Amino acid sequence: MNALLTSAVAGLTAGGTYALLGVCAVFTYRLVAVVNFTGAAIGTAGTFVLIALFEAGFPIWPSVLAGIAAGTATGVAIGYIMTRWFGEASASTKAAVTVALLVGLIAVGLRLTGGQHPHNMPELFPGSAFRLAGVEVTIASVLTIGLAVLFTILSDLFLNRTKVGLNLRALADRPMAAELLGVRVQLLSLLVWGMTGAFTTFALMIIAPQRSPNFMTLSLLVVPALAAALIGVFRSFWWTLAGGIALGIVEGLASSIDSVSQYRSAIPFLVVLAVLLWSQREARWDEAR
Amino acid sequence: MKRASLRASLTLIAVALVAGGVAYAGLLPSYWVFLATSVLITGVALQSLGLVAGRTGMIALCQMSFAGVGAWTVGYLNLAETPGGLPLWILIGGLAAVPFGVAIGLPALRLRGINLAIVTLSFATAFDTILATMTYPGQTDFLQVPRPELFDSDEGYFVFVLLFYVTIAVALEFISRSRLGASWLAVRHSERAAAAHGVSIATAKLSAFALSAFVAGISGGLLAGYLGTLVAENFSMMQSLSLYAVSVMTGAHFAEGAIIGGLLVVMFPEILRRLDWPQDIGNVLFAIGATQALSTGETMSETFRRQFRKLLPARVPKTSAAPVSQLPAALERAAGPALTIESLTVRYGSVVALNNVSITVAAGTVAGLIGPNGAGKSTFIDAVAGFLSSYQGSVSLGGRPLEGVPAHQRARAGVRRTWQTNRIAPELTVGGYLALASKGLTASQTKAVLDWLDCPHPDTLVASVDAGTRRLLDVAGVVAARPAVLLLDEPAAGQSHEETLRLGQRIAEIPKLFGSAVLLVEHDMDLVRAACSEITVLDFGQVIASGPPARVLSERAVKKAYLGIEEESVAA
Repeated sequence: MNALLTSAVAGLTAGGTYALLGVCAVFTYRLVAVVNFTGAAIGTAGTFVLIALFEAGFPIWPSVLAGIAAGTATGVAIGYIMTRWFGEASASTKAAVTVALLVGLIAVGLRLTGGQHPHNMPELFPGSAFRLAGVEVTIASVLTIGLAVLFTILSDLFLNRTKVGLNLRALADRPMAAELLGVRVQLLSLLVWGMTGAFTTFALMIIAPQRSPNFMTLSLLVVPALAAALIGVFRSFWWTLAGGIALGIVEGLASSIDSVSQYRSAIPFLVVLAVLLWSQREARWDEAR
Repeated sequence: MKRASLRASLTLIAVALVAGGVAYAGLLPSYWVFLATSVLITGVALQSLGLVAGRTGMIALCQMSFAGVGAWTVGYLNLAETPGGLPLWILIGGLAAVPFGVAIGLPALRLRGINLAIVTLSFATAFDTILATMTYPGQTDFLQVPRPELFDSDEGYFVFVLLFYVTIAVALEFISRSRLGASWLAVRHSERAAAAHGVSIATAKLSAFALSAFVAGISGGLLAGYLGTLVAENFSMMQSLSLYAVSVMTGAHFAEGAIIGGLLVVMFPEILRRLDWPQDIGNVLFAIGATQALSTGETMSETFRRQFRKLLPARVPKTSAAPVSQLPAALERAAGPALTIESLTVRYGSVVALNNVSITVAAGTVAGLIGPNGAGKSTFIDAVAGFLSSYQGSVSLGGRPLEGVPAHQRARAGVRRTWQTNRIAPELTVGGYLALASKGLTASQTKAVLDWLDCPHPDTLVASVDAGTRRLLDVAGVVAARPAVLLLDEPAAGQSHEETLRLGQRIAEIPKLFGSAVLLVEHDMDLVRAACSEITVLDFGQVIASGPPARVLSERAVKKAYLGIEEESVAA
C-alpha cells in the first residue's frame, strides 16, 4: 500500500506539469482558436536559456528570469506567425502550422543545445514540502500543482468574469468581426501567447531535472498535455486540471510496476483513445463543416 | 476520366522505364543509384501520407510507425523463414499495418481532424517506446533481410523498389479519379456536403486510413530489404513529423510531389553533409516550407502544375451541346405524396426555429417554400435531409419514415439537397463531381446533364468555375442522381435575371425529365412563379399561407411578411 502511495505521489510533479500545460493548451484554444502543438517546445526554449546561462556560470535566479523572458518571447514570436498569416485560417490549418513549427523548433533546439548531449539542469526547488501518510511530498510537486491550480482559477475568472476575457472569446470565434467591433485582436492574441509561454516555461524548468533534459523529450511533453486538454474537451479548465494530475499519478503508478514501467509513455495514447471514443458516442455535425 | 488516368499512368510508366533502364544498365555511379532507391522508398511513404493528409485533409503524424509495423513484420517473416520471399513479406507487412490504421482512424470519424493529429502523435510516441524495447528480428544473430535474387545488386533493388513505386502510383491515380477518391476530396472540403451525396463519412475516412497504413507498411518493408537490418530510430516520431511537414510542403498526394519530397528528404542531408554543414538544418527548411505552403494554400506540386498549364496552349473542349435525348432516363415513381412532413418543430435552445410545420410534396410536382430571411427555410431543409441532431414531428419519404436515419442514408434513400453556400471540392473536375453526386453515370449522360443546365465541359476543374455556375453544377449533380425528392436551397442566388428565368424553366421540367419531385426554396418570386405549382410561405418558423402561387402571393399576410409593411403604404 505504502509503496503504491509512494509511486503515486512521485507522479505528482509530472501531473502538475501536464495539468498546467494542458490548461495552457485549453486557454490558447479558447482564446485564439489554435490547438497548439508547440506549447511545450516554447517552454523548452526558455528552459534551455536558463540551462545555458547557468552552465556559463551566471547566478541562478536572474537566469530563471531570463529563461522565462525567453520563453515569453518565443511564445510571442509563434503567436505573431499565427496571427499575422493564419488569423482567418481554419482550425485544422492552424493546427497543421503549429505541427510544422514544432518540427522546426525541435530541429533548431537540438542543433543549438547539442542534440542528446546531457545538460546540467539545476534543481530549482529541492527538498520535501511535507509528509503525507509517511510519504515525502516534494516542494516541486506542490509548486507545479499549485501553479496549475492558480492558472486554472485565473483562466476561469478571466474568461468568465472580465470584459477583456469576453472580448477574447469573441475573438476566437470571429477574429474579423471582433476587429470590426474595435477589439485589438493582434495585441490581445500576442498577450495570450506570451502569457502561456511564460507559465509553461516556469513549469518546464521545475520538471526538467526529473526528465532527461534534451530539447526533444521536453518538447514532446505536449503529448500528455494535449491528452489532458482532451479530457477537458478543450473547454473545461477544471477537468483538464484533474485530467493532467491523474495522468501524472497513473504514470507514477505504472513506473512502479516492473512489467509495464518501460511502456508508460504509451499511457497518454490510451487515454486519448478512450476519451475520443467516449466523446463521440453520438453523431453530430460540426457547425463549420 | 478513365482516359485521363490512363494518360497520367502511361507518362509515369514511361518515365519509370527510362529511370530503371538507366540505372540497370549501370550508367549511373552505384552510390547515386543507392541514394535514388532511398528517394523512392521515401516517396512511397510520402504517397501513403498524401492519401490522408493531402486528399482527406487530416493531420496524420504517425506514418513512420505504420512503416515500422511493416518493417518489423518483414523481419519476423524472415526470421521464421516464411516461404514466398521478400515481395510477399512486404505485402503481408503492409496488411499488418492496416488494423493499426483503422484503429487509429476510429476516434477521428465523427470529430474534427485535429483530434486525429493528437491521436496519431500520441500513438507515435507510444510506438517509439515500444519499438525501443524490441531489437530488429534476427539482429542479434546478424541475420539480414535477403533481397530477391533477381534484384540483389543495388541497381537491381532500385528497379525492385521502382516497380513498387510505379504500381502504387498507378493504382492511386485510378483510385483518386474514382468515386471513392472523389469522396475523399469531398470529405476534406465539407463533410456535410459529402454526406448529402450519400457518401458515408466513416467509410471514406476509414478507407483512406486503411489504404494509407497499407502503403506506409509497404514502405517499411522496402526499407527492410534496402538496409538489411533496422533500428527503432528509422521509424521515430521525429521522422513521422518531418515527413508530414514535407508532404504539406510538396503535396504528397501528387506522384511528382511524393518524388520531390523524397528527393528533399534524401538529398538535403546528403548535400549538407558534403558541404560539411549540420544535416538537421533540413528539418528547419521543411518547417518553413510547410508553413509557407499552408499560408498560400498551395503546395509545390500545385504551383508547378499551375505554371505548367499556363505554358500549354489552352485546349478548348468540343462545344456542341448534347441533345436532351441523351439525358439519363427518368426513374418510374409512384403517384401520391413523395415527401410528407408532419408537424415539424425545431428548437435551438429557447429559440423556436420551426413551429409545427406540415408540408407535402406530391410526386411529379415542383413545390415552393418561400419566406423572408430567418424564416426557417434552411433549417427545414437541414431537418428533412438529416443534418439536425434532433427535431420533433415526422418526415417520411413515400410513406417510409426517416426518423433515426442518418444524413448519408437519407440521401441514398432518395432525399437529395443542394446548399446555399458553395461546398464543391475545388480539386475535382466537373465530370468527377457529377460522378460523385450520381453513381454510374455514362460519359454521354454526364455531358447531357451538364449541357442541359449550361454547365462547363466535364474536364474543367471546379476551381476554375465561377461561383454562380458552381451553384448550377450543384443542381446538376443532384438532378443527375434522379432521387425521389430534390431539395433545392436558393439555386438562383448569384444568377442574372435571364439566367434565373431559364433556370426556372429547367426546374419546372425536372419531374418530367428525371422523375424527381422538387421542393424549391427561393427568394426570387419570378423563379417561384415560373417553376412551382404549389407554394408554402414560412414566417418566423410558422406556415402563414399555402396553395397555388397566384393566390398565395396575393395574400395580405404574405405581402406583409415580405415587405414588412401593409399593402396600402406600398401603394402610397
